[in-house]
Amino acid sequence: MRKLIILSAALAVVLGGITACGPREQGKSGKPRFAFVTNMPASFWVIAKKGVEKAGNDFGVETSYHMPTGNAAGQKSVLENLLARGVDGIAVSVSDPANQTDILDKIAKKTILVTVDADAPDSERLVYIGVDNYTAGRQCGKLVREALPGGGKVMIFVGSVDQDNGRRRRQGVIDELVGRDSDPSRFDPIDKGVTGNGYEILGTLTDQGDPARAKANAEDTLSRHPDIGCMVGLFAYNPPAIMEALSQANKLNKVKIVAFDEDNDTLQGIIDGTVSGTIVQNPYEYGYKSIEVLVALNKEDTSLIPENKFIDIPARTIVKENVVAFWDDLKIKTGETEAGE
Amino acid sequence: MSDSDQQQGLRTPKKSAEPPDLLRVCGVTKSFPGVKALKGVDLHLKAGELLAVIGENGAGKSTLMKILAGVQDYDEGEVLVDGLTVRFKGVEDAFDKGIALIHQELNLADNLDVAANIFLGREPRKAGLLDKARMRRESSIFLDRVGLKVSPDQIVSDLTIGHQQMIEIAKALSVDARVLIMDEPTSSLSQHETEQLFKVIKDLASKNVAIVYISHRLSEVRELADRVTVLRDGDNAGELFRQEATHDNMVRLMVGRDISKYYALEPRSHGAVALKVDKVRTIQNPKHALSFEIKSGEIVGVAGLVGAGRTEMLQTLFGVMPALDGSMEVQGHSVVIRSPIQAIQNGLALVPEDRKQQGLVLEMAVRENMSLASLGRDQNKGFLNHRREQDISREMVAEMKIKTPSDLQEVQYLSGGNQQKVVLGKWLAMKPRVLFLDEPTRGIDVGAKQDIYKLMEKLAEEGVAILFVSSEMEEIIGMSDRAIVMHEGKLTGTLMRDELTEESVMQLATGTQTKPISNN
Amino acid sequence: MKKIYGILGVFTVVFILTAIMSPSFLTPYNMERLILRTSLFGIISIGVAFVIITSGIDLSIGSIICLIGCGLPWLLVKMTVPLPLAILIVVTLSLLIGLVHGVLITKLKLQPFVVTLCGLLMYRGITRGFTGDQTQGFGKFFSELRWIGVGKVAVPGVPIDTFGIPVPFFLLLMVAILASIFLNRTIYGRYLLALGCNEQAARYSGINTDRMIILAYIICAAMAGLGGVLFILDGNSAQPVVLGNFYELYAIAAAVLGGCSLRGGQGTIIGVVIGTALMQVLRNMITLVDWIPTHIEYAVIGAVILAGVVADEVVKRISASRRAAASRL
Repeated sequence: MRKLIILSAALAVVLGGITACGPREQGKSGKPRFAFVTNMPASFWVIAKKGVEKAGNDFGVETSYHMPTGNAAGQKSVLENLLARGVDGIAVSVSDPANQTDILDKIAKKTILVTVDADAPDSERLVYIGVDNYTAGRQCGKLVREALPGGGKVMIFVGSVDQDNGRRRRQGVIDELVGRDSDPSRFDPIDKGVTGNGYEILGTLTDQGDPARAKANAEDTLSRHPDIGCMVGLFAYNPPAIMEALSQANKLNKVKIVAFDEDNDTLQGIIDGTVSGTIVQNPYEYGYKSIEVLVALNKEDTSLIPENKFIDIPARTIVKENVVAFWDDLKIKTGETEAGE
Repeated sequence: MSDSDQQQGLRTPKKSAEPPDLLRVCGVTKSFPGVKALKGVDLHLKAGELLAVIGENGAGKSTLMKILAGVQDYDEGEVLVDGLTVRFKGVEDAFDKGIALIHQELNLADNLDVAANIFLGREPRKAGLLDKARMRRESSIFLDRVGLKVSPDQIVSDLTIGHQQMIEIAKALSVDARVLIMDEPTSSLSQHETEQLFKVIKDLASKNVAIVYISHRLSEVRELADRVTVLRDGDNAGELFRQEATHDNMVRLMVGRDISKYYALEPRSHGAVALKVDKVRTIQNPKHALSFEIKSGEIVGVAGLVGAGRTEMLQTLFGVMPALDGSMEVQGHSVVIRSPIQAIQNGLALVPEDRKQQGLVLEMAVRENMSLASLGRDQNKGFLNHRREQDISREMVAEMKIKTPSDLQEVQYLSGGNQQKVVLGKWLAMKPRVLFLDEPTRGIDVGAKQDIYKLMEKLAEEGVAILFVSSEMEEIIGMSDRAIVMHEGKLTGTLMRDELTEESVMQLATGTQTKPISNN
Repeated sequence: MKKIYGILGVFTVVFILTAIMSPSFLTPYNMERLILRTSLFGIISIGVAFVIITSGIDLSIGSIICLIGCGLPWLLVKMTVPLPLAILIVVTLSLLIGLVHGVLITKLKLQPFVVTLCGLLMYRGITRGFTGDQTQGFGKFFSELRWIGVGKVAVPGVPIDTFGIPVPFFLLLMVAILASIFLNRTIYGRYLLALGCNEQAARYSGINTDRMIILAYIICAAMAGLGGVLFILDGNSAQPVVLGNFYELYAIAAAVLGGCSLRGGQGTIIGVVIGTALMQVLRNMITLVDWIPTHIEYAVIGAVILAGVVADEVVKRISASRRAAASRL
């Protein structure tokens, strides 16, 4: 008897898991359907989802939202499922631009395709909506210059440089610091230091998305370079990991932190003064704009598409002065606080 | 020591007319790290000759056979086939010279059919594809030669062990074997299958195939061999021709001393009923209910052919596989036994058939194996009682004359006989009231066998009731106060000590006769 | 003790080499951080060692870490559950997971690989479900609780800012000592080792093998749960998608390095702790030594694990042939 109960409990858990992951209801109303596909699951995308939903309501279309796991392969299977199911348009943040051109072109033949956040410039996508990560990186570099006006040693922390965003952000930071011209195609090897303008960029440490590793990287940097001046965290979880490492080493405020993205801990750090500033994208706007563009294109209205096929949603610099206003707005958009509260 | 006179016997007269020996081994040695397995062994064999090679475990029989079959290389000495020196680089080389070894453990791909097994690795091909018709046709010829009436399409796993053995032989014949080496071929065969095998062996010998026959079963050797070569400690211990090959002579050469009384069962008085089995049915043979009794101090043998359900009966009584129904009493108290834990709590113990799989934790020390069953009893609030563990283990090692450098040696490095003693010691530490033994002397050498017989007697004298399964007729007849006989899952009769003969046992075991079960 | 000579040798060599190659390696701060990381990973590795000793495997460790590590701050911060209740839930959940694994494996005779693989998928999925994929953390709260993860204990005569023994180290010490005693001094430890080598023989000897195997999976899940709590207390912020990813493999690798055989029946707790420390020193070395490119990290770790296992096997072979020789004489 006892075995039976345990078995059925286990079964219930399994079945529960399956139905929770199952395909969503779709196509009941005959309205156009648009899909928004992220490159990986992240808090960042939860904000974009709000924008997608808002635009869906505003334009009276159906939207679906997908956060594939498992990198390029996982994203590919989600895209293929969408094609099989049939949608009127897809906005996608491309996982692996260099190698996904084929599948993207296939999609572009069958439905309307735009890229968002991470672009695949060689594909047949109609437009790219997002930030120029290189420019955003240079913005981040400016923050480092302000944090360390007299120059000093800088280490960069990032999940990976395989992804276009990580790679371009990092290059932007480096180029800005050593005062080079803008050239997004430049790439400094990650282990090689770059020096110039009084700044010494010691290198770049990657963590493959493991936050514990990100923290260990920051700690190892403190061991190796006790005289480090500034730590730059380029993925959302990097700045909190750096803060934790510094706090445990009693070096908060002694080593500057420059951040990327809007993790709660990062924003709190800016308020407390332990983080000099952060560069935020506008994921809500990514979501909203994507649906707006897809709706227009579905009506064969191309007026929203600029000549260079790039709709810029500029990154913003958040520092102590504007952090509170930004955070409040963010909370409303993510539904953490109700509007007008 | 006495090498010189043995060498004499081995030397063949040098007559130029006579062809050279088919196979000849001169002074072959072989060392393994830390041990010299062969210290210069001689052997010779003529076409059509039936040579038995005997010796205790560790005497070097298996090593020598592996060298002859190309499985292993040798260090010094010479191997000659047809008078020419050879050195095999692998099994294929030996095949080419017509030498095939049939291992004790069968090496068949039992998911494939008979024909596929006979031609495994040498499949005839036609246009790159398997020539199945030819395989089937030619298999039939070889199956005929070994007198096996099965279809070449039959899947091997559906055949009995005896038939599988025949297929191994058919496979050897298919490579034109002139020398067939058989390592303990009857160890898992029933009496009937053994007889069939002997017929085939004799038939092959008459057709000029030379046979090297390795066995622990001296009665078989006596029946088959033209000549017996005895090995001891990696050396030749002597040679016996057919008429000299008596049981005592063979044993003397094997152990190097006289074993006067092999089975020395003294009449004993028996106590009250220790175990009463009433209408117990096993999962494997649900048609037959088993009922019998054993008294304390009594040694009861269980005879029968392989597949008669003897092992299954012991495992059911010990709770490894719960009985379907029926009841059991131990010393007059009714007991429920559905797991080994309950069996042990009620004073039962089982020395299982498969020593390495079921009896021992090979990677653990003698001491740890010895204490495995009694840890729970001797625990100190869950903690190990090291002192007591050590005492028991040392006592058992000494009492049972277990040959091991220390009781911290892992049992995997012990010989079969010593391993079996460890299994026994584990149960003796529990002071059982009823002891089940399943093939207690299988694959162990003569000296250890005798130690185990003595131990069984000693336990019986102390009042332990013993139920032992054996496939060796001599053992059943020699060791049983009373024997019960099974045939296809059914108890077919009881034989008292004075009724025990090879004939009376076989009649019950083959089901040609039944005899009411008597418990006296 | 012989069993750990191989791994101890490799560890010493790597440790000394790293110290020679990087002046930062032996600094008090770096040592302190290494001790902390070894403590966290050591606890989960000891847990999986128990399962490996029964010749099983637990692939769900990383996901249990995720479930518990994200679940604790979620309960405390998002759900505002009182601390004692939250701890009760987390502990019960860990034990329950182990129990379910063990029961499925022993009573239904499912393969450990399959059962825990499903666990790997389920627990992370469930965590992502109830957290809505949102980052979980304590923010600036629960600093008393977080002391268990980030606190340090001063060594007499050394300023705590220079060097302190991380609190998780004491937890590791406690877990390791208890595990050692359990494995080597109690009959249950002996039962585990015996059934790991040969379950059938253990059952024939009257050991309740099912119960012991279930116990091993409970210990493993409990240690993974404790690991999850410590990882979140130390890191403070965790993403359900990534927290604990692949940690089961690090734990298994450390256990194997420490002399646990996946065939079962072998393993020492001290070996597992050294194995864990070796892995952490390696990762540390790759960051600290300038001329080692950081992106070949996995290659270096893989190569050293292989070297460790080979060294271990060679030592075993030598001692085995000696013993075999001894018993034939």
